[in-house]
Amino acid sequence: MISQRLQHIKGHILAENKCVEMATPPPSPLSTHVLNTGQGVPGAGMALSLHRLDPRTETWNLLIAGTTNDDGRCPGLITREAFIPGTYKMRFETGQYWKGLGETCFYPYVEIVFTIMEPSQKCHVPLLLSRFSYSTYRGS
Amino acid sequence: MDPSKDNSSITTHVLNTADGVPASRMALSLHRLNTHMMIWNLLTVGTTDEEGHCSELIGSEAFSLGMYKLRFETGQYWENLGQTCFFPYVELVFTITSLDQHIHLPLLLSRFSYSTYRGR
Repeated sequence: MISQRLQHIKGHILAENKCVEMATPPPSPLSTHVLNTGQGVPGAGMALSLHRLDPRTETWNLLIAGTTNDDGRCPGLITREAFIPGTYKMRFETGQYWKGLGETCFYPYVEIVFTIMEPSQKCHVPLLLSRFSYSTYRGS
Repeated sequence: MDPSKDNSSITTHVLNTADGVPASRMALSLHRLNTHMMIWNLLTVGTTDEEGHCSELIGSEAFSLGMYKLRFETGQYWENLGQTCFFPYVELVFTITSLDQHIHLPLLLSRFSYSTYRGR
């Protein structure tokens, strides 16, 4: 009876740990940050997607599609396990973004293609964007 | 070629911002999207000169409204300088909505960053 009770309590404790895990997932080793430099605000609500090149078939595999939050960020892009060395592409739906603000954009979309050789290092690939310009860099 | 004599409606200028020099001998190509078949048609292949310019990218007859892509072989460029580059290539995709504008698309590039803008 006591051991059954202990098992029951143990079950609750494990479940709670699970909840804690889900509430604070490990940060993605790859991150981005979209800034609207035209208006001086975060690029919120921008659709984006992450792809990895399959070197055998030379085709792009979609890994995740998401939307930036109010801060212009998109947490949870990729897990540590999935972040293997290779060629990646981050695609930002810039035309759609500016259309949502009632403006046109010179760039219908922006694709940033980059190579990861050391996946153990954190990689940050921001996009600073206006209607007629953009820039990016590798941060950490 | 004197850039002021380049009659192309689309021009570019590639700068190596890490070394503070023009990016010379960088391979690049201009493509236009064929909207019927949704494939890219290669228009021109070229290489930047000593000043980082590449003249005659497109003639006035070929210049039409649509979506274009200017691709720079950045990985190859840095490899020729004995360095790696975070970006194996850079593709700038843009739309031409008016034929009476001249579009200048510079690329300011280092091994770990790049920027571009629409100029005249």
